[in-house]
Amino acid sequence: MSYVSIRRGVTATAAAGVLAAALAACGGDSGGDPDGPIRIGTSLPLTGEFSQPGTAAEEGYQVWREMVNEDGGLLDHDVELVIKDDASSQNTIVSDYNALIAQDRVDLLLGTFSSLLNLPASAVAEKNQMLFVEPAGGSPDMFSRDFRFLFFAQQATSDMQGKVFAEYVAALPEDQRPETAAYPTLDDPFAAPNVAGIQAILEEAGIETVYEETYAIDTRNFDTIVNALKSADPDLVVHGAQFEDGIGLTRSMLKADFTPEMFYETNAPSFGSQYSDGIGAENTEGVFYAVSHSPDADTPGNAEFVTKYEEMYGTAEVPEDAADAYAAGQVLHAAVEAVGDIEDQEAMAEWLRENEVDTILGPLSWNDDGSPTGDFLIGQWQDGKAQIVLPPDAATAEIKPGWKPGGAG
Amino acid sequence: MSEFLQNLLLGILLGGVYALAAGGLTLIFGVMRVINIAHGAFLILAAFITYSLWDVLGIDPLLAIVITTPIVFALGWLTYKVLVAPIRTAPMASTVLLTFGLALVVEGAMGEIWGNNSTAIRPSYGDESFTIFGLFLPKAQLYGGLVAVLVLAVLWVILTKTWLGRAIRAAAINPSSAELVGIKVTSVAALVFALGIAAAGAGGAITGILYPFVPGSHYQWIARLLAIVVLGGMGSLNGAVLGALLFGIAETMTSAYVSPSWATAVPYAIVFAVLLIRPQGLLGTRMREDTVMA
Repeated sequence: MSYVSIRRGVTATAAAGVLAAALAACGGDSGGDPDGPIRIGTSLPLTGEFSQPGTAAEEGYQVWREMVNEDGGLLDHDVELVIKDDASSQNTIVSDYNALIAQDRVDLLLGTFSSLLNLPASAVAEKNQMLFVEPAGGSPDMFSRDFRFLFFAQQATSDMQGKVFAEYVAALPEDQRPETAAYPTLDDPFAAPNVAGIQAILEEAGIETVYEETYAIDTRNFDTIVNALKSADPDLVVHGAQFEDGIGLTRSMLKADFTPEMFYETNAPSFGSQYSDGIGAENTEGVFYAVSHSPDADTPGNAEFVTKYEEMYGTAEVPEDAADAYAAGQVLHAAVEAVGDIEDQEAMAEWLRENEVDTILGPLSWNDDGSPTGDFLIGQWQDGKAQIVLPPDAATAEIKPGWKPGGAG
Repeated sequence: MSEFLQNLLLGILLGGVYALAAGGLTLIFGVMRVINIAHGAFLILAAFITYSLWDVLGIDPLLAIVITTPIVFALGWLTYKVLVAPIRTAPMASTVLLTFGLALVVEGAMGEIWGNNSTAIRPSYGDESFTIFGLFLPKAQLYGGLVAVLVLAVLWVILTKTWLGRAIRAAAINPSSAELVGIKVTSVAALVFALGIAAAGAGGAITGILYPFVPGSHYQWIARLLAIVVLGGMGSLNGAVLGALLFGIAETMTSAYVSPSWATAVPYAIVFAVLLIRPQGLLGTRMREDTVMA
């Protein structure tokens, strides 16, 4: 070895040593301070198209952080949230999660909102072998990638969310059961499988499909779609929607004076007063939807969560996305406390695969691929208020047949 | 046949709303050669102001246009004086970046003031329709179309029948010569920018009645409006109206006879096809620099 190469070798070794020491000082569970907070990173769509649910998810995470810290923290450390805004962009969210891991050096991660954003975000977490509990990404595509660190903190994937409703319709006496159904659906990894799951069960029960179309995510004008729906004249409309398109299509139905006997819509009706303000409280009567959370549910910690939410945000009307985010925090909390060490995230994932976690949504458990194993609640708007009507053991009201716009409020 | 007429009617009404929103954008480009990426953000800002006037003061959203339009006119004038004027002679890319940044600032401000929740303006006629010969005409779309005709007619009269209009056109065609005959081009530019934003203000009131919105909704609007303005010919008011009608009809016809999943894509394909044949758009004129390039 020449002198030059020896010197280079010494220099490189010294530099590597300094770098390793620096990284060790920066890393660890609390930024190098054993008594410091545990830092948990997430990126949420606080601006852009998904800003509404993204903001609700942030509220849920903040309530969880506040309650955990009041209760002594996580492994006796305070929890600190590092929240970035991905502006509802799939590109930004990838750089955000990379920055959370490499630059902010967070100890743990929490997921973001929507399958669209969780698909790339979970890939970053998986690559870095970090646990990724996500509150709102139920597309089956999320769980077909053999990921080991991904867990969905709701009761069911999107293709199973309408199952309880579809089975209820299929089991109705023949004179009450709809004969025909229409399925207008947003081109979205959450909405499309949700509607497909319902359609499969209803077709199996002999309910004829008379309309089946997917529309693009930037569709704002629904008059033409509703004109086609009206011509098809279905007894039941199952609308695969997010929020704004749910409001838009319903209002177009009202404008066209098209009111099918039964109306089921994903997502939008679970937004409480924002939904009733959007279509008019009087037009909500009888609308069905699937929902993961009920503020009135008798699940462990739910009443405390609702009280804390009201204290922090001034309303007891808890958005579903806030509750889902809170539940994701509960799942992460359970895994961390069970393993007792935030370094071994593989052990946390293994623990979640083998155990059930009590959350405000009810008990959650998972398949090997991180998809949940439960059933969703089915809600129905009655007299201007959202009620849980299925399954019977969780119901807060009896089912009222028919969509009756103008009949409530 | 009646279904075809129904879809055609819905397309024309939709085009009317698009024309109202796009008119100001093409006016600003035609006179100033500024591509105002913040146009959609001002549209949504006007929708939020209209919402507050309707929700808090109970003013009908159509009547609120009388209040909303002067407010956004003033904001447009201020924006020009503070932000656009200093880089007026910079390359077009600079104004694109500036107005994009402005759009983000306006979006953030709207989020702070009104929150990120979806907002809908629902006057009593918002979900009602007229029925004529078995065809339904949504009232809000019809009123929106009428407001579009009114606003665009006012803009047309200003541009073609008044001294101000002549000054605007002179400043657009040849700013140096316009200065020589006593037209203060910077003042004209500020006025045009404010007028363009004011047109977006009227559009915002109508679109707020028709569609729910959040601060981030401006991205979808600016994409559509730019396509409409390019289709009609950048800078041409008549072209914007024609482009908007074609865009609206293409969207509804595609939704009805191809598939709703193609409804937002096909109009853009039409824009590409038109530009291949007429790079200056349907009613646009080739600029001197285009001729040199050719």
